[in-house]
Amino acid sequence: MTIIHCTLPFRLVRNINNYSKIVNDILKHDVSFNILKFSTGPEGVNLLLEVPEEKIKSITDSLKKNNINVNKKGRIIVDLDKCIECGACISLCPTDALHLNTEEQLEFSYEKCIGCLLCLDSCPRYAIEEM
Amino acid sequence: MTKSYAKINEKIKRGDAVVVTAEEMIKIVDTKGIKIAAEEIDVVTTGTFGPMCSSGAFLNFGHSDPPIKFEDLWLNDVYAYHGNAAVDCYIGCTRMSDIRSFEYGGGHLIEDLVSGKSIRLRGTSYTTDCYPLTEVDTEFNINDLNQAILCNPRNAYQRFVCAVNSSDRTLYTYMGKLLPNFGNAHYAGAGCLNPLSNDPDYETIGIGTRIFLGGGIGYVIGEGTQHNPKNRFGTIFVKGDLKNMTPQYLKGVSYEKYGTSLFVGIGIPIPILNENLVRKTAIRDEELITEVIDYGVPRRNRPILKQVSYKELKSGFITLDDKEIKCSSLSSLYYAREIAETLKKWIQDGIFFLNQPAETLPIETGFNPMKQTLELRFVKDLKKKAEICYEDCDIKVVAQKIIEKNTNHVVITDKDDKLRGIVTSFDITKAIAEDKYELGLIITKRVITTYDNEPISNAARKMKENDISALPVIDDNRKVIGIITSEELM
Repeated sequence: MTIIHCTLPFRLVRNINNYSKIVNDILKHDVSFNILKFSTGPEGVNLLLEVPEEKIKSITDSLKKNNINVNKKGRIIVDLDKCIECGACISLCPTDALHLNTEEQLEFSYEKCIGCLLCLDSCPRYAIEEM
Repeated sequence: MTKSYAKINEKIKRGDAVVVTAEEMIKIVDTKGIKIAAEEIDVVTTGTFGPMCSSGAFLNFGHSDPPIKFEDLWLNDVYAYHGNAAVDCYIGCTRMSDIRSFEYGGGHLIEDLVSGKSIRLRGTSYTTDCYPLTEVDTEFNINDLNQAILCNPRNAYQRFVCAVNSSDRTLYTYMGKLLPNFGNAHYAGAGCLNPLSNDPDYETIGIGTRIFLGGGIGYVIGEGTQHNPKNRFGTIFVKGDLKNMTPQYLKGVSYEKYGTSLFVGIGIPIPILNENLVRKTAIRDEELITEVIDYGVPRRNRPILKQVSYKELKSGFITLDDKEIKCSSLSSLYYAREIAETLKKWIQDGIFFLNQPAETLPIETGFNPMKQTLELRFVKDLKKKAEICYEDCDIKVVAQKIIEKNTNHVVITDKDDKLRGIVTSFDITKAIAEDKYELGLIITKRVITTYDNEPISNAARKMKENDISALPVIDDNRKVIGIITSEELM
């Protein structure tokens, strides 16, 4: 199983039925999957799903066709409010998903995260959590 | 050309002092040259924001009614040091909560205090005729205190080392999480923005130097502990009124399996009194050199693997034996810059003036190791002969050896005496219970080992951490040359 993170942007959320759009799209693929987290954020409706690895391509493609943003593999949440812009997590990240931007502030690129979790116990402010 | 403190302060008062940060100074000297920079620039500001374990605060609570003389006291369950008068205490940032140990400590307490949060105070006393109260359990915030003084005996290291780990396991240290086999590298300090790096001979820094401390105003009150100017590891002793500081620049932190600490924001203004100070404040990252140290060796004198510049460190990679190692900082360059900028603004706005130190920091002192009267003992002093069986022998032979030699551990080797595994009397018992009669099935193959020159205390820690009672002693070629068991350590 692989974890994917889907976001249905708010501009597409017109009525209550839109909320189930993500789930309905996946159900079309006739697979069993787990909903790990359901939340609304500033960018839209977020779903964290665990889906079979072999179906990931077709699921992702059909979701994207419906303007749903999909990120795969990431398994951590970085709470930038708690972050103090040190680099204790950065050297541990094998893919540069955790990196400093040109202003020397921490950025997390979800799509690069492979979920190795090496960073999890490195943050002195407990700003990194496993999803 | 020379300037005086008085002249610079006059300019600050008039609002026309020219202030730049240490990073900006590099460019100015590059374009205008030293002479013009010396005339034009009045003050260079510096900054650093990182974990500084030698930090803490003196607090005074005022007297209770009836009065109490604390014997023991806790602030949010963090034990505070009391060895002064009745209601004074010192809360150190690395002291961990009795209840939430690694999660919350003195550093977090100081951050909460500065944030204005309510703090629980519990204290006990043996009572005296003048202090009859036996215990106190109350709540207070920073405004209820008579004094709350941040007083840090060692802050703002001139530079710090870069840490790597050659061992085969992940280390959790005050230098953060260090992956095995040189998997990553950590450093600390802001390089060319570092306060003491911009005045490495301490021409302008000493007792009474007014500084940015934790978002408020503080003072250097002398050299810090372990001040080691000869090796460019200078440190400062600082104090300041916590009531004027902000939680933005005092952050409690927890390092996994190491403990708690406090991020402290410090900025020192360097007055440009002469051309020498222009040169010094224009120092670049590539000129600031530090050492890569192997924390995989658990001894005081850890091996120095190479020299690196802060430029290389800030690039995100260091190279060791042609291998690129990902490298990051434990301190925050973003906040170091913000501190230098804030201090610059304070001076430009005429609300921060420079103090001439009463005495500058010493430039000749050194840093000596601890005098230990008990002789350090090593594994080679306490090891005994290992009972050995070859890997292809019968399980019964191993069992007989355990009985014959009255031992609990048999080390398994190949024909060249090289370590292959270990079998305990418990393993044999378990094998019989589970009907397993092949030695290969019951050997523990991933063996924790030790070596002749390992201090006994390190070997004991290995046993305790791994919940085992013996360590085979091996040489450089993994040949078994003895064993040390928990019995020898008692």
